[in-house]
Amino acid sequence: MRIALLSLALVMTLPALAAAQSAGDVAEGKKLFGGLCVTCHGFDGAGGAGPPLNRPKLLSAPDDASLRNIIAEGIPNRGMPRVRRVTDEEMRHLMAYVRSIGKSARAAVPGDAVRGGQIYGKLGCAACHIINGSGGSLGPELTNIGWIRGPDYLRQSVLEPAARLPQGNLPIPARGYNEYLPVTVVLRDGAEVRGIRLNEDVFTIQIRDTTGKFHSVRKADAAVVRKEIGASLMPSFANRLAAGEIDDLVAYLSRLGGAL
Amino acid sequence: MTLTRQVIAIGALLFNALVVSAGAQVPYERLVKAESDPQNWLTYAGSYKSHRYSALDLINRKNVSSLKLAWAYQIQRAGIIETSPLVVDGVMYLSEPPSTVTALDVRSGRPLWTYSPNIPPDVIVIGSPPVNRGVAILDDLVYVGTVHAHLIALDAKSGTVRWDIVVGDNKQGYYLTLAPLALEGKVVVGVSGAETGIRGFIDAYDAKTGKLAWRTYTIPAPGEPGFETWGKGNGWQTGGGSTWLTGSFDPELNLLYWATGNPAPDWNADNRPGDNLYTDAVLALDPSNGKIKWHFQFTPEDVHDWDSNETMVLFEAQIGGRERKLLAQANRNGFYYVLDRATGEFLTGVPYAKQTWADGLDAKGRPIRKKGISPSLEGTLVFPNIQGASNWFSPSYSPQTKLFYQAAREMGTIYYKGAAVYKPGTAFTGGGGRYVNGDDASGAVRALDATTGKMKWEFPLLSPGWTSLLSTAGGLVFGGSEEGNFFALDAETGKPLWDTQIGGAVRGIPMSYAVDGKQYVAIAAGFTLFVFAL
Repeated sequence: MRIALLSLALVMTLPALAAAQSAGDVAEGKKLFGGLCVTCHGFDGAGGAGPPLNRPKLLSAPDDASLRNIIAEGIPNRGMPRVRRVTDEEMRHLMAYVRSIGKSARAAVPGDAVRGGQIYGKLGCAACHIINGSGGSLGPELTNIGWIRGPDYLRQSVLEPAARLPQGNLPIPARGYNEYLPVTVVLRDGAEVRGIRLNEDVFTIQIRDTTGKFHSVRKADAAVVRKEIGASLMPSFANRLAAGEIDDLVAYLSRLGGAL
Repeated sequence: MTLTRQVIAIGALLFNALVVSAGAQVPYERLVKAESDPQNWLTYAGSYKSHRYSALDLINRKNVSSLKLAWAYQIQRAGIIETSPLVVDGVMYLSEPPSTVTALDVRSGRPLWTYSPNIPPDVIVIGSPPVNRGVAILDDLVYVGTVHAHLIALDAKSGTVRWDIVVGDNKQGYYLTLAPLALEGKVVVGVSGAETGIRGFIDAYDAKTGKLAWRTYTIPAPGEPGFETWGKGNGWQTGGGSTWLTGSFDPELNLLYWATGNPAPDWNADNRPGDNLYTDAVLALDPSNGKIKWHFQFTPEDVHDWDSNETMVLFEAQIGGRERKLLAQANRNGFYYVLDRATGEFLTGVPYAKQTWADGLDAKGRPIRKKGISPSLEGTLVFPNIQGASNWFSPSYSPQTKLFYQAAREMGTIYYKGAAVYKPGTAFTGGGGRYVNGDDASGAVRALDATTGKMKWEFPLLSPGWTSLLSTAGGLVFGGSEEGNFFALDAETGKPLWDTQIGGAVRGIPMSYAVDGKQYVAIAAGFTLFVFAL
């Protein structure tokens, strides 16, 4: 009889205990996330320069094993570093929090994606961006941009493209370097080249100009090598779009790659 | 006949004499005089004084622009090459990652023998990549430390194992990456592993048999001086203090200088309140018994992982009207230190890179810490970065220019404090950090007045480098970049005189040798060793 009672007590308390641990894990995980992850993945995992995590399925972490591996090791040569080593307990907390964001209700992205697609066409964005194989290659490819950027970042890119250049999406230049950084080079004969930096080392710099032409410059041969940190070759569309049109464009971009 | 040619000729005569009289290839006496034997490179840093300076001047300011590839050797298994080759009488001894040794013909680059220990697949290497930084040679034996924490003596002619001993328990996280240092009748090694909470030590072994001669722990046991700097808990038992880079030696003072690494856990000092002696310090040891003669601690109670293992340069200079025997180090914490190496007295300490953690050093060299610089849950931005303003890569000192050459890393890190749970053989770090890298970081080769630390010139690098430097009597400083540049600078002015692109991050350690009256400069980058000559 005593044994039966004890068993009954266990059956009743175990699920409650598990639920309590899990809520505690989520709260602890949120604290860790606030220090380690929020800079790229945004508050509440809403996304930013890094992918939004507030979706039921994560492209690179569909299951717990892959999520654990990504937190533990990062994604080599891409934007995601291993920020720091974590203990088993800290890992449990972080995973519990990331999974909890995926289950939480997401704020809807306002705007009409179909109209946004038409605005994309009208503005001529395809002159510089490739989607599904079509478009120009001066700017970043946008085929999967809905997966890898949050709506707030996409909105900022349309309004203030120079505010934050992408980093860590391309294997070259190396992780941490601004991609699509505008540079101006004035050669000794006065000729000027302006374009984006493809790569650089101590003695040389490689540039693609606005016409798509490639230039290799030895720095010692140039009168000026100006890296335009804080600038972008993409114009701002803040004054060319009404507020509703911006919402539409962001809605369109957010769905690219089937992300929403 | 130039001075160098004379040196080479005399060296060759001496060598012939030694072969006839002693039999052994590299007796201790030859190591003591390594710097006057510049056609060879006999110790990790070129001499016991760790100058990484070549007295050869066949390649010099006037002709370096004609430097060309003589030969290249590709390593057998992909990995990072952070090694300094040795060259002895026509043979190069190169270590490859993780713990392989290969002998090469210095004229052609063709391998003569190669040896790889059996590294277990579950080897524990936490705290660095599985690299090897070089070998030592004494008499007819070549010594290599391995990532499974063995010390192995190989027959220099064939690569055959003469003895193989266990230095530390790899299951606890001990491993070896450093080049051993051969002294008279002994070979000295240190260990890596603070990121798993080891208790660091320095070991000396009988060079012929591998029998342990002495062991000196870098963390005092209960009852020993310094034990009180660990608080009342058991933090000392897992306190780190690794000894992972080759020391320097003064045969006249008979003092062995060995530096120590960070306390563990790296970024969380909760269980180790106090200075944590002898972590982040230099120990002056009696090489006959390992007794500590003096110590100097650079970073007491470190919470930023600023190991102090960096190479220590020994030199002499006039200070206050008298000749002093000095020891200099560009520390990972951003300060350049000069100590009296006979007594350990602190003489000078000045920043050589951006640092935001200290308001300078006091009269005894102790840092005056700023507030709010400790790692935190939300992250704390501090310079220098988590890998330091310097690290394992070698500086160089030129007796010709009296300058100390150092690659400096200008980068910040957002430092985090985390939990630390000790479990043998697993990471015991208590936090970590996120780099502020890319266009927000940079590097430079800096030439410092060795006595005062005052910068004479700098050559900017695109990104924080891991480049070691070699200075030569030809008035040159050789170095590299993370982007694959290898270059020669004017040792007096820092002006670039020659450069080439070798296609991989330059992590190897440059050295120079001569054979048949021709000077060579060797550097590893990517997965390849490149050797240049005129």
